[in-house]
Amino acid sequence: MNEEIAFWILSAIAVLGALVAVRKRNLIHGVFALLVFFAGLSGLFLLLLAEFIAAVQVLVYIGAVGVLLLFAIMLTERVAGDDGRRMTSRGSFWGLVVAVAVFVVLLLPAIQELPPPEAAQAIDPSVKQLGHKLMNPYVVTLEVLALLLTAALIGAVTAAQGVRMPKEEDSQE
Amino acid sequence: MNFELLIDILIATVPLMLIFATLFAFTTWLERKALARIQNRIGPNKVGIPCTRISLFGLGQPAADGIKMLFKEDIVPRGADRLFHLLAPILALIPSMLVLCFLPLDFPWLNENSVKAFLLDGAVIFFFAITGLNTLAVFMAGWASRNKYSLLGGMRAVAQMVSYEIPLVLSAVIVVMMVGSLNAAEIAKAQTGWDWFVFSPWGFAAFVIFFIAALAETNRSPFDLPEAESEIIAGYFTEYSGFKFALFFLGEYIAMFAISGLAVTLFLGGGDGPGLAVLPWLSVIWFLAKIFALIAVMIWLRGTLPRLRVDQLMGFAWKFMLPLSILNILVAGFAWHAEQLDNTFITVITWVISLAILYGAASGLNQLNRGKVRPREYKYAE
Repeated sequence: MNEEIAFWILSAIAVLGALVAVRKRNLIHGVFALLVFFAGLSGLFLLLLAEFIAAVQVLVYIGAVGVLLLFAIMLTERVAGDDGRRMTSRGSFWGLVVAVAVFVVLLLPAIQELPPPEAAQAIDPSVKQLGHKLMNPYVVTLEVLALLLTAALIGAVTAAQGVRMPKEEDSQE
Repeated sequence: MNFELLIDILIATVPLMLIFATLFAFTTWLERKALARIQNRIGPNKVGIPCTRISLFGLGQPAADGIKMLFKEDIVPRGADRLFHLLAPILALIPSMLVLCFLPLDFPWLNENSVKAFLLDGAVIFFFAITGLNTLAVFMAGWASRNKYSLLGGMRAVAQMVSYEIPLVLSAVIVVMMVGSLNAAEIAKAQTGWDWFVFSPWGFAAFVIFFIAALAETNRSPFDLPEAESEIIAGYFTEYSGFKFALFFLGEYIAMFAISGLAVTLFLGGGDGPGLAVLPWLSVIWFLAKIFALIAVMIWLRGTLPRLRVDQLMGFAWKFMLPLSILNILVAGFAWHAEQLDNTFITVITWVISLAILYGAASGLNQLNRGKVRPREYKYAE
């Protein structure tokens, strides 16, 4: 009973956050609404007893991705769009039709076909198990991902330096 | 609804809020007194018990300040984002309050059935995840105020907090590696009997890195660039007054307690100390005493060290702390394997070698970086 109440509250937070994130013209408001959505999602993970994933959700999505988005916004101009103007487009009706069609034709049968969810106690998504799994079957995947991220990081630094270098030469002259 | 669960949660959380809010009031008094003594002043010494002449060394000052803050006018700038201006101080306080429950404070009124968040398998990860939210609050405050000094302070704070979070977490990784658990209570239990992590070369290096990074994370001097009075007024809370300002203040001090508490858990043995066999509840007292020892060092540093420059700050994080903490993880890994052998001679050799490596690395990095610190170049001033 308690879990059900918590589930509905968290789902409402997540859905509302996602909706506001899409609808807001003001980018900063949108980003913070997106972060609310991430927080709701993390709460849902916690409800499934996947505490490690919940923590990582907060750490990576709210802590890192959120700050990254804010940094990106700080570098763009005209951050505060006027909230008064409504977001409309000519194809909105057909977009809605397609969305409903996708839901009815693709998602609904899939949901009905799924087996009923197992009790959360049956699976053990503990930190220890996750660690063992990461080290034993998935170690190559982990290393490749780490390498990829490092490459991306170095690439970003190089790209940033490439922009800055001509300026330094100017100042020296 | 299950009311017993609700009561259990209240028993677990309300004392934390009361105790740490009281300690906050005491710490503001302590800090003002200590700073005053360092600067050869007297500090607050008038306010005591109302309507009497008893002043109690000015211990009534925090209460008087609190009442003043409550009654002050709340000013919101005209161009500000009113909603975010209101939300930022609240968002600054909530994460720091929330992480207090991940500290292994075993109060005597808690029994086996009580709600104990620090027994979670990922308590340490939760701690870092939730303290990371402070960055957002600072950014929110800086942006919502529509003031260039606020925004500058916010940007400085975000850059600083993001940079110093990496050495902070990497130095905590060492303890997690040695214990093999992310559970705060188990980490504290692994250090009972004066077997604290700070008493080993890698542990000591990690503790020093952790403490410096913690200073930067909580925007304490000498890393208080986001609120540097002589440069950008008060940084991200320039436009805050009254109770919202008090919330920022409270959040900052609670974050200091929380991060000191984590340092105590990870490196200083948690609630370990003499007399525990006779009186088990002394562990809480020892824990709080160790937190206060760290806070006293923070106050002392604030009174004695000058503020860093922005380029020095960034260089210190990325060119000194980060390589050193990565090397320290390597050293700790070898030390762990050496400890598994359980041989006194090998242990001694490991200690000597790791001490030499860490000292050499620290002084080498110091030498490497020293040549690159140039005097300040002025772009917009002569």
